Amino acid sequence: MFVISVQLSVVSNPFSVCSVALWLIIECSVKHDDDECKGKSPLRAAVAKAVICLMIVAGITGCKTSGDAAAARPLRFVSLAWQAQSVEAHKNMVAQWNAQHPDRPVEYLQGTWSSIHDYLITAFETGDVPDVFHYESSVIVDFSARGFLADLAPMISDELKADVLDVAWASVRRPGGEINGIPFLMESFVVLYNRQMFEDAGIVPPTFENPWSVDELRQAAQRLTRDIDGDGSIDQYGAAMGLRNAANIFMNMSISFGGSFFHKANGKYTVQVGAGERRLLELIHGMLYRDRTMSPSGTGKTGSAMIPGLFNGNYAMLIGIGAWARQQLAENAPEDFRWGVFLLPKAESRQTGINTQTLSIPAKSSRRQDAMAFIDFMVNPDNMARNARCDWMLPTRRSCLNREEFRHGGHGWDIVSASAKFLSTGPWLGAPGYVEWKTRVANPILQEFFANRIDLDEAAQRLETESNWVLARYQMRGETW
Amino acid sequence: MSRRKTWFRDLAVHLVLLLFVVYLTFPLVWILATSLKSTPEIFSGHFSLVPGEITLEHFKTVAAEGQIFRSMRNSLIAGIIATVTVVVIALPASYALVRYRSVLNRLFLGWILTSQIFPAILIIVPLYMVIRFLHLTDTLTGLALVYVVWSLPFVLWMLFGYMKNIPVELEEAAAIDGASRVQIVYLVLMPVLLPAIGAAALFAFISAWNEFFFALVLLKSPGTVTLPVELARLTGIEGQARTGPLAAASLIATLPSIVLFAFMRKWFASGLLAGAVK
Repeated sequence: MFVISVQLSVVSNPFSVCSVALWLIIECSVKHDDDECKGKSPLRAAVAKAVICLMIVAGITGCKTSGDAAAARPLRFVSLAWQAQSVEAHKNMVAQWNAQHPDRPVEYLQGTWSSIHDYLITAFETGDVPDVFHYESSVIVDFSARGFLADLAPMISDELKADVLDVAWASVRRPGGEINGIPFLMESFVVLYNRQMFEDAGIVPPTFENPWSVDELRQAAQRLTRDIDGDGSIDQYGAAMGLRNAANIFMNMSISFGGSFFHKANGKYTVQVGAGERRLLELIHGMLYRDRTMSPSGTGKTGSAMIPGLFNGNYAMLIGIGAWARQQLAENAPEDFRWGVFLLPKAESRQTGINTQTLSIPAKSSRRQDAMAFIDFMVNPDNMARNARCDWMLPTRRSCLNREEFRHGGHGWDIVSASAKFLSTGPWLGAPGYVEWKTRVANPILQEFFANRIDLDEAAQRLETESNWVLARYQMRGETW
Repeated sequence: MSRRKTWFRDLAVHLVLLLFVVYLTFPLVWILATSLKSTPEIFSGHFSLVPGEITLEHFKTVAAEGQIFRSMRNSLIAGIIATVTVVVIALPASYALVRYRSVLNRLFLGWILTSQIFPAILIIVPLYMVIRFLHLTDTLTGLALVYVVWSLPFVLWMLFGYMKNIPVELEEAAAIDGASRVQIVYLVLMPVLLPAIGAAALFAFISAWNEFFFALVLLKSPGTVTLPVELARLTGIEGQARTGPLAAASLIATLPSIVLFAFMRKWFASGLLAGAVK
């Protein structure tokens, strides 16, 4: 018994486990036959005995064993819906599908935005993949470049091809025409404002037809910034912006300033901070430190964390927040709080970048046709409209955008829906390594810049140098879009 | 030392302890307060540890969604299997490593210690392959097996330290009375080692109870999800969260650990000390 216990302790070392895995890989690869891997050998017999012991324990405790897994497997759908309404919507759609297709049932698996990347990478590497998964266009680029995703282009119906906006398809289309995800929701960035403060200051908010220029936004912020009690410190800022994870919004806003940060030449991506990008960065930095019309509290907070400050009257405008944030205002604002929505100011153009949420099928899924049929069901006009309504985002189908609920639905739906025509793809959507670049390079440098620890020149220089280190590593691996 | 000096010293010590207790309990009190606030009050951004109006809406939401109690049950099952298995293996193994003199002992101990240098992300793919080979993916048994692999080395080292401090004369006396090795371990040493075993078991259980990554990757079906994974589902994109339900669910999730610590704190404290001094 003592010897066995010591042996078990030694074998239980993770390094031993890795060795066993290596042995499995070698054994399977030498025989080139999966069935042979299931054959008997003394070692496997010993392992099997151990498993039987474990299963007895499992049986005693009543937990699920591999016997259940042997049953016919339904299609597995990993959803990233997380708001109560959207989770319910996805579950209802799955239930509806299962009722209509009892021969091809779907199992709803709840993923999380914070862990989906690790979950999927492990699934792709081990081959134990879901059949359909929900993610976003900027991230699936990397998966696609590594060959993890199935090409959906041959399976897409003509009706879907024609109805989904071209810009949404552009966010997921590879140079060879492959499509690795069906875009079903689009993000749009807006400005949320406090109507009462605007009225008190005598400011008329911009309309969709007559947007503010950058200077007009800046002037309005100055008029809305107030020292109410006269103690010399500002009590009400004109504007605020969640700058903790600023890369995403700055990438998307840069297009209207004539920039894009990413440039592609000879098949290689590089990051360049040109005049357009500088003008955008300088605008926000100037409002923070020169005009002092933007709340400094935003430098360490996300956009959603800034919403309570809008309710409390700490600032009059929340700039560059996703259209989804309207849900928080609609559901959680104090009863007497009146708010409105307008679009980002016009710089050189009104174009902003697009990011879409997608449904994809892993290349290792053995049931691609069934999975695609389920995706077709999830993105039919009714279901897409329902998803968009629950997530407070834009549907990608023209037929959905033209529905009354999105054109005149209140809570700024009319403005948000109309903004779809200003969405365009940025070159970063095709750049392998973009996700790593965003989290490891752009966000930290922008945080330092907006905290006033480095100046614009240093931020620009570091963005170019450090970004290109990351991108070069991906391009050395031959990952191109 | 004068009485006045002693009084000041006691006051200072108690003040420091009080601050430490406040520091430790603040997150829990914060979660409790948040779980009892209405959603608009949470979003108001006003700092307060006392809810303006106490509401149980978040607890009702969590209960209505119905996943939290099932995930607690799953965590409990995986934690108990892992804890029992770890203790059953580590106890005789630590005895053997202490009492059986062999040149291989140091090698074994060094080998076991290497496990501590591995981050989970490094071994997850090979680990997954082994678990899949055993047809144990998406089962609590497979997850418990991984928890055994993960916590056994540390528990073994803990028990090894305690075991070394037990005088061999105790076993010799039992042997003279005719006790076998197994009897010596389970009838003589185990009662002496109870605090250490309690501490080791608590460590193994809490590690399993709080573990997220392996559970995320190994379990697929909704019915097998464990508590930390379930809690993560209340968070969204770009730092958003359903704060009220998340606080309520976190509070419910914390209760078993608190109860366990309350029952076992004596064992745990003396167990830690037993390994620390000769």
